[in-house]
Amino acid sequence: MAQPQVTERPEVGAAPRVVGFLCDWAVRSEGLLNPDGTMRDLPNVTLILVPCSGFIKPAWLELALRSGAAGVFVCGCPMGDCLNREGNWIVEDRIDQLRKRLQRQKIDPERIGFLAYGYHEQLAFVEAVRAFVDKVRRLGPGEGKRG
Amino acid sequence: MYQRLIARLQSWTLRLDTWIQRVYPQDFDPLYYTGGLCNLFLTILVVSGILIFLYYEPSLEGAYASVQFLTDHVPYGVIFRGIHRYAADAYMVAILLHLFRNWFTDRYRKARDAPWISGMFLLVFSGLAGFTGYLLVWDERSQLLASMTVQGLRSVPGMGEWLVRLFLGGPGVSDTTLPRFLFLHVGPAVTLYVLLWWHYVRIRHPKVWPPALWVLFSVGLVFFLAAALPATSGRPAAPGARPEGFPVDWFYLWPYALARWIAPGWALALVGALIVYGMWIPYTMPDDPSRVLRSPGQAVVIDENCTGCELCYYDCPYNAIYMVPSPYPGKSRAAANRKLLAVVVDSRCVECGICIGACPFEALELPRVLERDIQERIRQGAGAPAPVS
Repeated sequence: MAQPQVTERPEVGAAPRVVGFLCDWAVRSEGLLNPDGTMRDLPNVTLILVPCSGFIKPAWLELALRSGAAGVFVCGCPMGDCLNREGNWIVEDRIDQLRKRLQRQKIDPERIGFLAYGYHEQLAFVEAVRAFVDKVRRLGPGEGKRG
Repeated sequence: MYQRLIARLQSWTLRLDTWIQRVYPQDFDPLYYTGGLCNLFLTILVVSGILIFLYYEPSLEGAYASVQFLTDHVPYGVIFRGIHRYAADAYMVAILLHLFRNWFTDRYRKARDAPWISGMFLLVFSGLAGFTGYLLVWDERSQLLASMTVQGLRSVPGMGEWLVRLFLGGPGVSDTTLPRFLFLHVGPAVTLYVLLWWHYVRIRHPKVWPPALWVLFSVGLVFFLAAALPATSGRPAAPGARPEGFPVDWFYLWPYALARWIAPGWALALVGALIVYGMWIPYTMPDDPSRVLRSPGQAVVIDENCTGCELCYYDCPYNAIYMVPSPYPGKSRAAANRKLLAVVVDSRCVECGICIGACPFEALELPRVLERDIQERIRQGAGAPAPVS
């Protein structure tokens, strides 16, 4: 019997602070969160539930990065399944624009993530967030407040 | 009990999506395009229907013969007939998928009762057009269906005879009957387009068409069925014939299959009851006010910050925001010289908050999910010292 492989993750310093937005209609949030709104599996990730991913202002993502988060992501419903028909396409578009804008201000666009997972895809969602956190960790600490 | 059932059905519907997405990419899931598929099959029906119409003769003697002529002697006539026949079935399948999916995934809530009600009307008229299509062939099945319908209509209290006259175009089957049936087939089909306008009118960028490959697949499927299982007529209708059974098309003729167990009048009443219940569905499950994120309140324009930039107007998926000439200048610097002001139309707003995401000027809010609180939580999440994992 082969021993179960333990995947090594690069441990670069402390876990980075990450803020995530989750559409209330996308991944089921029961059992996903601690009472303080952080994720149970990844306590360095704060999840904010919103009525629709289209509700999210790009300015909020920028605010998260400016106030010290190393990364910020949005999770909407599977593309094409938005309850409000267009919310996740719209927010994906807005994130693209925000990435370009932030790149001009020397903020790595990789720090903004966009995910799309359905009601039953909790495990895949947590894995995707984990991968995003690892990516952000490799990018180093966040920008913090400017000036 | 009912709520638990609906919640369970919602869960199953979404589980089905998860399975489909193991095979297809997310935005290629056919269940995301059931409305587009309905429209596709309706288009196929209209095109093939016009071609059949060119050969159809609506008269007692000529109807059956003209359909036979189309089938046997017109080049590819049997294919056109088959396409019309199988596209009609596929259309009903797509409609029912569209209905149940939108029902189970809560897409009828709030201001979306208007698409729901118009959708029920579309279903009724589609069913009517589908049923009368079986009458036009005027074979034994048509005759049996017509006589059962007459029995059913006659048992409607008070207006039975009048309905029968309306249906047959006279007191009994006569030369005016088949033109009447033809109208009852084409009339509802034309009405569908009026109803579709109602179905789409509040929706910005409706998905009226499935992805190209699904279009090709659906058209191919219909062509394949038309060639593999050619549509045929039964024996011609004759005044004295008493046909016993008929091959049932379960999508359009199920109320007639019930006639084996209940009287046609009751089958008609059952259909009516189902339609009434369908119309009532949007009002069966009121929103749970304790779930703030499901009922965050209708978007409110913060008058003094609105600059009239129209971004919310372009992003609102339900056309719920109107830009009106600004009656007075706004208070913030950006809003001081505005020409337009956004106004949220209450009867259309579904409380999704997409306009809030569009607004760069803090001029829109959902009353129960305030921007201030979200910003506070972002700062909390981003600012406090990170725990070591």
